[in-house]
Amino acid sequence: MIRTYKALSALLTYPSVDLLAASSEIAEVFAEEAILPEQTQRALRPLLQDLSTGDLYGLQERYVLLFDRSRTLSLNLFEHVHGESRERGPAMVDLLETYRAGGYDLAATELPDHLPVLLEFLSTRSDAEARELLADAGHILAALAERLARRESVYAPVLAALAELGGVAKTSEAVQELLTVADDDPEDLEALDAVWQEAEVTFGPDPNAGCPVTRDMLARMDPVPPKPQAADAAGGMI
Amino acid sequence: MSHLLDRLNFLKSNSLGRFSDGHGHTTNESRDWEDAYRNRWRHDKIVRSTHGVNCTGSCSWKIYVKSGIVTWETQQTDYPRTRTDLPNHEPRGCQRGASYSWYLYSANRVKTPLIRSSMLKAYRGLRKDNSPIEAWTKLQADPILRASFVKTRGMGGFVRASWDESTEIIAAANAYTAKTYGPDRVFGFSPIPAMSMVSYAAGSRYLSLLGGTCMSFYDWYCDLPPASPMTWGEQTDVPESADWYNSGFLMIWGSNVPQTRTPDAHFYTEARYRGTKSAVVSPDYSEACKFGDIWLAPKQGTDAALAMAMGHVILREYHLDRQAEYFEEYARKYTDMPMLVRLDEKDGRLVPGRMLRADDFKGKLKEKNNPEWKTIGFDRTSGDPVVPNGSVGFRWGEKGKWNLQEKAGKDDASLRLSLIMEENHDDVVGVDFPYFGGEASENFTKCEHPDVLTRNIPVRKLELEDGDAYVATVFDLFCANYSLDRGLDGDWTAKSFDDDVPFTPAWAEKITGVPRDQIITVAREFATNAEKTNGKSMIIIGAAMNHWYHMDMNYRGVINMLVMCGCVGQSGGGWSHYVGQEKLRPQTGWAPLAFALDWARPPRHMNSTSAWYAHTDQWRYETLQSKEIVSPTAPDGDWQDASLIDYNIRAERMGWLPSAPSLRTNPLELAKAAKAAGEEIPAYVAGQLTSGKLEMSCEDPDAPENWPRNLFVWRSNLLGSSGKGHEYFLKHLLGTDHGVMGKDLGEEGRQKPIEATWHDEAPEGKLDLLVTIDFRMSTTAVYSDIVLPTASWYEKDDLNTSDMHPFIHPLQAAVDPAYESKSDWEIFKAIAKKFSEVVPGYLGDETDIVNLPILHDTPAEIAQDHVKDWKKGECELIPGKTAPAFATVQRDYPNLYKRFTALGPLMEKVGNGGKGISWNTEVEVQHLKDLNGVVTEEGPTKGLAKIDTGIDAAEVILMLAPETNGEVAVKAWEALSQNTGIDHTHLAKPKEDEKIRFRDVAAQPRKIISSPTWSGIESEHVCYNAGYTNVHELIPWRTLSGRQQLYQDHLWMRAFGEGFCTWRPPVDLKTITADVNGEGEPHVVLNFITPHQKWGIHSTYSDNLLMLTLNRGGPCIWISENDAKTAGIVDNDWVEAFNTNGALTARAVVSQRVKDGMTLMYHAQEKIVNTPGSEKTGKRGGIHNSVTRVVVKPTHMIGAYAQQSYGFNYYGTVGSNRDEFVVIRKMKNVDWLDRPAKEEA
Repeated sequence: MIRTYKALSALLTYPSVDLLAASSEIAEVFAEEAILPEQTQRALRPLLQDLSTGDLYGLQERYVLLFDRSRTLSLNLFEHVHGESRERGPAMVDLLETYRAGGYDLAATELPDHLPVLLEFLSTRSDAEARELLADAGHILAALAERLARRESVYAPVLAALAELGGVAKTSEAVQELLTVADDDPEDLEALDAVWQEAEVTFGPDPNAGCPVTRDMLARMDPVPPKPQAADAAGGMI
Repeated sequence: MSHLLDRLNFLKSNSLGRFSDGHGHTTNESRDWEDAYRNRWRHDKIVRSTHGVNCTGSCSWKIYVKSGIVTWETQQTDYPRTRTDLPNHEPRGCQRGASYSWYLYSANRVKTPLIRSSMLKAYRGLRKDNSPIEAWTKLQADPILRASFVKTRGMGGFVRASWDESTEIIAAANAYTAKTYGPDRVFGFSPIPAMSMVSYAAGSRYLSLLGGTCMSFYDWYCDLPPASPMTWGEQTDVPESADWYNSGFLMIWGSNVPQTRTPDAHFYTEARYRGTKSAVVSPDYSEACKFGDIWLAPKQGTDAALAMAMGHVILREYHLDRQAEYFEEYARKYTDMPMLVRLDEKDGRLVPGRMLRADDFKGKLKEKNNPEWKTIGFDRTSGDPVVPNGSVGFRWGEKGKWNLQEKAGKDDASLRLSLIMEENHDDVVGVDFPYFGGEASENFTKCEHPDVLTRNIPVRKLELEDGDAYVATVFDLFCANYSLDRGLDGDWTAKSFDDDVPFTPAWAEKITGVPRDQIITVAREFATNAEKTNGKSMIIIGAAMNHWYHMDMNYRGVINMLVMCGCVGQSGGGWSHYVGQEKLRPQTGWAPLAFALDWARPPRHMNSTSAWYAHTDQWRYETLQSKEIVSPTAPDGDWQDASLIDYNIRAERMGWLPSAPSLRTNPLELAKAAKAAGEEIPAYVAGQLTSGKLEMSCEDPDAPENWPRNLFVWRSNLLGSSGKGHEYFLKHLLGTDHGVMGKDLGEEGRQKPIEATWHDEAPEGKLDLLVTIDFRMSTTAVYSDIVLPTASWYEKDDLNTSDMHPFIHPLQAAVDPAYESKSDWEIFKAIAKKFSEVVPGYLGDETDIVNLPILHDTPAEIAQDHVKDWKKGECELIPGKTAPAFATVQRDYPNLYKRFTALGPLMEKVGNGGKGISWNTEVEVQHLKDLNGVVTEEGPTKGLAKIDTGIDAAEVILMLAPETNGEVAVKAWEALSQNTGIDHTHLAKPKEDEKIRFRDVAAQPRKIISSPTWSGIESEHVCYNAGYTNVHELIPWRTLSGRQQLYQDHLWMRAFGEGFCTWRPPVDLKTITADVNGEGEPHVVLNFITPHQKWGIHSTYSDNLLMLTLNRGGPCIWISENDAKTAGIVDNDWVEAFNTNGALTARAVVSQRVKDGMTLMYHAQEKIVNTPGSEKTGKRGGIHNSVTRVVVKPTHMIGAYAQQSYGFNYYGTVGSNRDEFVVIRKMKNVDWLDRPAKEEA
């Protein structure tokens, strides 16, 4: 059993008395197994520090606000790729089959795509296999890390560490795609307009050109090409 | 040479080759890739379920489950077939239902119980050394601790909690409230029981065992049309959608069938294929308009004027110039038109007074039983006054004559409709009718006619007990009210449709903007079709018409058209009001479960509109004065001085409306005091009230003893989609940040109420605890102290019925509830269990006093034929007669859980019933014991039938209801047959052996069995249509005259000028003031309309990203191109809409679809989605309800008067919201307020 994954799973669970008590043990596991590079371990210290000294209610409130109430930070991974779509159920079923093939059934009330669930499963795999599975979700993890970093959240390094284990470059195309899609900067009116704007309907001159609204919607469903400027800006921030 | 041996006889080669002249070729490549598709659609099981409370479509769905996860859903197609010639019901279902499985696993789902951390911290601190109840008591006693969570409501700060701890806090709070203030201070709000009736019953059963208050929803939502009980003594009994197909002329009036009744819309299109003609009435170009052969676009809010003009045409051409035979017969037999009205003298002038009663005659026309409630007509043959069967006086205290046979007692009696013939009247006199058209505000067309119109009426002079009096038939007065000239000379009647006299098409053209030709054409076609088909003209109405302050005029206007043409009670005809379809078909089986009638009667019911009006202090800001709405012809009285809440207080103390809380003193304490005084409870309470030692709570809603203290909200978004006066809720009930900008009556120095005690400082934060049970973080959940995660619609077992089709079918747990959630049934069971754990030693066996208003469909409903107020000394306080009844109820608090989970003994002892009839249920109770099993553990419930699971609860409903148990149906019809003297059992006999169980409806939706609870029947020959049994079985309507009541003679109806239907312009709410207006910047003032949307059902789905993507996303309002230009707004601009009630922010959709002068904001968009801060209030922009405030109407408070008596979700004040105007202007800065709450504070 790779306890580093188990420890990362624990860090992303709802802060409880047990978790607070285990914070020093978690740090020890990271040090002992040394799967995470020294620098990454250092980055995780503020969170561990919070857990060992913080007010439990404050920690819990923060967790609920971040992970239970903010959609863009949901720890249910498929929220970010499938959202409320028909694909989500089948995707969860596939994941469940993976757990079953690995010899485990889901015991808790969480859904299979809950990140701590996945991490706990990974702790029962070989490191190579675990990294491979993480790599599949790498772009989501990197995007979550980025979003948390923008909020200056102490949870950001946990996600960054996972993205790193999965070997995902923060600037990869897939990550940028996720960030672009969800990145509606609420301060920026132009950007907001772009998100909600409906295309103008023009009738003619070419009657066979198809409905522009549909065309526009379909275009939006196509993968978004990475924008070099945005990549730079994001890269600089991380 | 033979090829036989070269040729293959039995085989053919499958090697690569070509076919179809070389166009196709075969290959041997692997077809494994196809498995991807096979697996994609593979599933473990299919479970039948539907979409619970919010949607009233009641479509059955197949839910596909794979590995314990819901993967998708498709429409069920197995509804029982209809008969030949009628299209089948399926497919039923719409885009919202088809996307529900996506919603199930949404990140917006509430996963665990959540509690505001400031409250939890304080509670846990106190709980260390105290019992749960002590801890809660101390928390409430400490003003700083209490304020710590009250003032931060809606500002986040939730932490997860266990079920054990959450239920403990709730149980402790309920117990504390019951003991300290009274159990009626625990309120619960949940709507539309028909859609998931067990889930509704879970909460209401808990509350009823506790003595808590169950709040109505239908009136509060303003979906309840008071015109329905006024006319028929029944609430929203309507045709199923399949009956549209049988119609010959369909009017769609303010309804948007394809958009909001999507699964039923196919019957509308199919009817058009059949050749049905259709007229659509809608101010905007709604989706329904394209279905119309003709589209009438009246100015919003002027529907009554349009209906009056059409009525004018129909009366003129089908009743007066030529009398259509079918219409005449229908009017005589099924309406109050031949009944007589006394003409009262007031200041030397005559006005229509009360309906003449047997009691008015010397010798009472030999009627001994209830002569004051028996109406009178003239016999056609003899010309003498007779007492026709069927009036409400025959309903109670005697049997066999409550029917619509053309008889008076045993004698034949055919009534005379009109006294117009020379030989039939003694005189022609001028009678005054009020006219309100001159009161229109600047936003509507005002017309220059006087406020009193005198018309000539043919009358008879009768010698009565109290002297001579003029009487006239309703029909003659009715025609005069429509301004029809009948050759009697005099003023204010019209000979031509072009006359400028109120109610002609020419007059209506000015008010509504609809060309007179169109009005005349539609009226003629409507009536012609009805005449040729015996009443197959139908009007489908949506909420649009009912949400105006004077909604009764809109509704009575169209009801009059239907009744004039004999359409009500005929298949393919009638009144189809489809709003908040709340038809709980197995109602009488459900009520015992839901209101714990098996343990204690009566339950505590409250009409929500009056309650929220008082408890959210919206009355303190009242801008509408009685003098603006009182009739110029009002009888004597202080009509003008009393404010709207004063009328409500009078109604409560006369026993017309319920009260919650009811008495200032805790009823548990009051019962003890009565016992100590050695008096019977009703007499004791009456004495205390008369002497003034005891006060009714309604007289001082702001006194801390009279606040609601705990509130449960389940299956509802009370503060979001349905919180009319949202900002007042926030300010006064919750005590948190709010956007109210107006000043109250005290601050403004205006006239204060007479009856209600005024406190200069209004309370803020009345609620001690707000608990919301939901599966998503709705606006209400965000403002709650405790949020409990409930099972969604594919995760629980329950039952579902609708107005729209005659089937009953289930919700089923396709999968276990996700995360930590539980079904509503299990949640309330858990709360009940915890309550029974914490309460011993604190509360025990207690006597409670329940204040019961005088209820419709009970013998008491004929309590007050004259209005007398005991408090003014006009009469004695007699409980149940001149005041509410004070019923004694025994509560067994420590055994509350045991009672919750077993069917109590009253079902066997007292029986069951509904709507004025009752029957024995011993057999059914025994069947339930056999089916559900009996309680084996020792205690008060040993040996009783178990109600442990949701399915057990469903079986109770199905077993006890006539609609799902043929044996009960026959018993119910037998009971009714005794009252009418006509045998009706043939309607259920063929189904006597049919018993529908939960597993039956799980297998296939089942058609319900005909029952006297409803006025339509289920048969192989006709579709379900309301009023059918009244017309075809001669069962009276449950009104004063026993007929369709077009004249409303109650004193208050006459005082407010609504004896007859008329045109009343929308009221002026004056919410744009010197302080709050758009001056100085480009802006526009528009009428604020909130129709239902396409991409959500109320607020459900409106937070779903895909649905948001399909429309504008986030809040938006529609305005016309001209109005946008005036205010300098272009499409997609952020705009702010505001008035004194509050402000909201939204994007503008500029469209030709919308009429100038109005703005549409779809109901209901969530505050939690894309809502920036308001520049006006500096707070998060409100929701559509932020700019509204409830305004109550005195005529809806009437009670103790036959059909105008209170019934839960039947009658009462309604929360109208369409008379509101808002200022709209472009926003300069959009601020998303995305800073932590603490920074702002």
